[in-house]
Amino acid sequence: MTGSARLWGLSWRGLKRDMRAGDVRALFLALALAVAASTMIGFFLDRLDRGLTRQAGQLLGGDVVLEQSRPFDAALRETLESAGLTLSDQVDMVSMVSQDDAFQSVSLKAVDDAYPHYGVSRIARGDEVAEVASGPARGDVWIAPRLAMLLDAGVGDSLRVGSAELRVDGVIEREADPSAGFGNFNPRLMMHVDDLPATGLVQEGSRIEYELLAAGSAEAVASVAPVLARLRGEGVEVQDVREDRPRLGSALERADRYLSLAGLAAVLLAGVAVAMATRRYVERHLDTAALLRCFGASQRDLVGLFALQLLWLALAASLVGALVGLAGQALLLALLGAVMPIDLPPPGLLPLGMGIFTALAVLAGFAGPTLLRLRRVSALKVLRRELDPLPASAWIVVVMAAAVFGGLLWLYSGDGLLALGLLLGGMIALVVLWGLGSVLLRLLARLCRRLPHETGSPDNPWRALRMGGQQLARRHNASLGQLLAFAAALFAMAMIALVRGDLLNAWQAQLPEDTPNHFAINIQPGERDAFEAALNETADAHSALYPMVRGRITAIEGQSPQDVVPQEARGDNALRRELNLTWSDEVPTGNRLVAGEWFTASSTDSSGWMSAVDARKVAPISLESGLAERLGLGVGDTLTFSVGSETVKGRITSLRDLDWDSFRPNFYVIFPPGVLEEFGHSYITAFHLDTAERGVLLGLVEDFPAVTLLDVESILSRVREVLDQVTRAVELVLVLVLLAGISVLYAALVASMPVRAHEAGLLRVFGAGNRLLARVQGAEFALLGLASGLLAALLAELAAAGIYLTWLDLAPRWHLGLWLGLPLVGILLVGVIGQLLSRGLRRQAPMASLGLLGET
Amino acid sequence: MSNSSHANANTPILHAEGLSKEVVSGERRLIILQALDIEVQAGESVAILGQSGAGKSTLLGLLAGLDAPSGGRLAMFGQSLGDLDEDGRAGLRAGRVGFVFQNFQLLPTLTALENVLMPLELTAVRDADRLARRWLERVGLGERLDHLPKQLSGGEQQRVALARAFVTGAELVFADEPTGNLDPVTGERIIDTLFELNHEAGTTLVLVTHDHALARRCDRCLQLTDGHLVEMMRDEVGA
Repeated sequence: MTGSARLWGLSWRGLKRDMRAGDVRALFLALALAVAASTMIGFFLDRLDRGLTRQAGQLLGGDVVLEQSRPFDAALRETLESAGLTLSDQVDMVSMVSQDDAFQSVSLKAVDDAYPHYGVSRIARGDEVAEVASGPARGDVWIAPRLAMLLDAGVGDSLRVGSAELRVDGVIEREADPSAGFGNFNPRLMMHVDDLPATGLVQEGSRIEYELLAAGSAEAVASVAPVLARLRGEGVEVQDVREDRPRLGSALERADRYLSLAGLAAVLLAGVAVAMATRRYVERHLDTAALLRCFGASQRDLVGLFALQLLWLALAASLVGALVGLAGQALLLALLGAVMPIDLPPPGLLPLGMGIFTALAVLAGFAGPTLLRLRRVSALKVLRRELDPLPASAWIVVVMAAAVFGGLLWLYSGDGLLALGLLLGGMIALVVLWGLGSVLLRLLARLCRRLPHETGSPDNPWRALRMGGQQLARRHNASLGQLLAFAAALFAMAMIALVRGDLLNAWQAQLPEDTPNHFAINIQPGERDAFEAALNETADAHSALYPMVRGRITAIEGQSPQDVVPQEARGDNALRRELNLTWSDEVPTGNRLVAGEWFTASSTDSSGWMSAVDARKVAPISLESGLAERLGLGVGDTLTFSVGSETVKGRITSLRDLDWDSFRPNFYVIFPPGVLEEFGHSYITAFHLDTAERGVLLGLVEDFPAVTLLDVESILSRVREVLDQVTRAVELVLVLVLLAGISVLYAALVASMPVRAHEAGLLRVFGAGNRLLARVQGAEFALLGLASGLLAALLAELAAAGIYLTWLDLAPRWHLGLWLGLPLVGILLVGVIGQLLSRGLRRQAPMASLGLLGET
Repeated sequence: MSNSSHANANTPILHAEGLSKEVVSGERRLIILQALDIEVQAGESVAILGQSGAGKSTLLGLLAGLDAPSGGRLAMFGQSLGDLDEDGRAGLRAGRVGFVFQNFQLLPTLTALENVLMPLELTAVRDADRLARRWLERVGLGERLDHLPKQLSGGEQQRVALARAFVTGAELVFADEPTGNLDPVTGERIIDTLFELNHEAGTTLVLVTHDHALARRCDRCLQLTDGHLVEMMRDEVGA
């Protein structure tokens, strides 16, 4: 019939005309929502990733941080700089400072002029607090509030640092790179690196850590990956922000997964809506296709024409969806203003491309097989209307849609196994749902038939319910299709809302009100009980007091650790520094055994915990699972520790997962009681104090002068701030999923309108008034909503359990509210949308309604 | 547009020999048309008469190439339809064959103008919009161009269908009970318009009807009874 150029034009004009039809509007809405969801979440996650990386960089002090005990050589600097990285030097050490007669050990950090790569420090000078994007000037120091308190020093005072006299320029409220100081229990003192020689602190044999902080693009960092790998192999500690996320990581990673899940739910719902709307679209175009065949169009022309028409539709919807997605991600960014750095590059094109690709994939997968029905239309249908081509097999439609959705799952999650699992689970669920839905529909119809038969009054609500139930039963297959579509929509909406609620609860549970905001260390054994009593009296809550012995891993299986561990672990902190070892007779709160067995006294004899140590003096130990994984260790491996001047051997008998985000004391290595007590030790605990009760701290400092108190409230409040902002983002995404769910309801109802119109026309012909019609239709929608709500509740309950266990790492629980809420929401949503859409039908003359079935 | 060889002056525009159509329903074979011969010359108007269920529409479908016969040979514009697959037959019709249906077959989401434009858009006709408007004015609907079918009366809808049938300059127009859904007065007007357009355009017209009055206005009348076709003299066609 036509050249391809004419086909393009014809399809475009056809689409413009077709926009009057409800199914095309439903298709447009569904596709636009799919694109909006995927682009918005794509843009957002892209930026969130950059934001986290930047934040990680800020906490670490750079995108890559190298650390070793000697200065870095010029060749390495040149290599890194030529890759496009900017460098900053830091020197860390523990030293003594004094003012007058007061001495205090400090965690000294000397920084250069390039400090800090990211963020600003908050420095208090008297009553003023300044945000400073540099380090202390030459001749100046900044000191932590605790140091100021311990030395009774203030701004303008002189401190002796080694041989140098340096002036206190400010008190540190927040360091630009706070994590660097957290691991060291001495109060911070910051100075300029150029002042170090004058202090005379850098001498042969001094325990000094040299840090080289590099900042630059992801590409620049990636380009030096081989250099970093080599350095790791040489024992240099290398921290890369992309691999070594900050402590807030797990909460945000859950948010990341949640958003991906929400995006996929929106895409799936859009797909269902597309499938429903396409069915109606195809039915409506059977006559068009037959006419076009009459006028000379070939089968190929027909497929081309309608496929192009839908392509135009998908592109237009993609454009609108992408704009909504762009606006949405801007809103997300505004909500996440404090988490996201403001100088991010503009949104990339990749999420946009992914959005358009998603729309096309959804269209091909969910509409393709149905669309091919148009190809089989016979021209003879213009004379014999009943000659409709058979609909595509429901299984072909489902399998094609599932294949495409599975592909999208894979693409978005990056986890083929997960995609396959979800897909197979979804297919099985569909079969089960089909059966359950069918039973449920029959049950409802039977119940409706038993309602009071006829009471004479047309206003009797039972009558409408009875008739509505009968209509559902008469169109069993069509009703079942709608039921499943509604159930899918309600299920996805419920699941996203449900997971959101539990995610937020989990976050809140992770950081409850009484999360410790102070650490107390250096509690001497003689003070232990008194300190615990004082805490019981003053603090809202505190963790157990754990003994702490410093020890270094000196051998693994009798060999040097460097010879045994994987090459990339050679620079691991755990091998380079002393670890805090503890002992405990029970698994500490927040720890979970993942391998082996916890040591028990009863398993040996009554001589106490020491009996657990075997004849070769090898004690059982429990190791943190992450460290075990990094070092390639497992249950049964033997570690040797140097503790003071002694050697202690331990065999790993259990591995533990622990929550590093918990703000409680956590330990890599735990011994049973009876092994480490002979060594000098102190105790550590964490406790919570309300801001108003900070005065208690002074009392503790006075009563226990040797105890060191660390305030981590600022880090804690930062974590809370991030969680609050991510929560708001999650809620915005939820709105999108809800909209996608509503698009399914809309599409399914639009698709069913001609049949409903025909029925309404017949009822009108037989004397039903508007009021009865409205009631019957309302009853039918309400029954559909009720049944789909019940099905959705079942599905959501099962799916949420699966997702919690596999993806979000949360414990599953029952949600009784679902079983009441979803049927109610189903009745309301399906009822309201259905009544709105069918309002026009009730106004139509019966002639028009009856004609509608054949002609639209 | 597909352009197979145009029929020359002596070649009938439609030529069928031994045309038959059977349908199998379960184990039953139902013979609808049996060994029909028919020849229609260019410019002729031919009426096929028959009772409801006689197979008129089936015959029309076969003659128009909308369906394949069970037996016999059929040529349109000198081209044997048996040599063509369905796409080939569609290509032969493109731009050369017009249709008028009993139930109008207007697309409900398209305006009157858009419905008439549809066949033009399938063929590379220049100035299609102007042509469509002119034909709608010709059938008296110049003021109703932007109306949707549901906003038009039955007679108006059939006039849109007439404009659509003739707008491509079709050489052959098939009409299936064109007045079947219309009241007698409106039907009469539609028939007047149909024949006026037919004469003006010099089109060949093949229509099936059970309306004898309509059949009498054609050059030839064929009666379809029990699957056979019998030529009737004009005065044999009753009132």
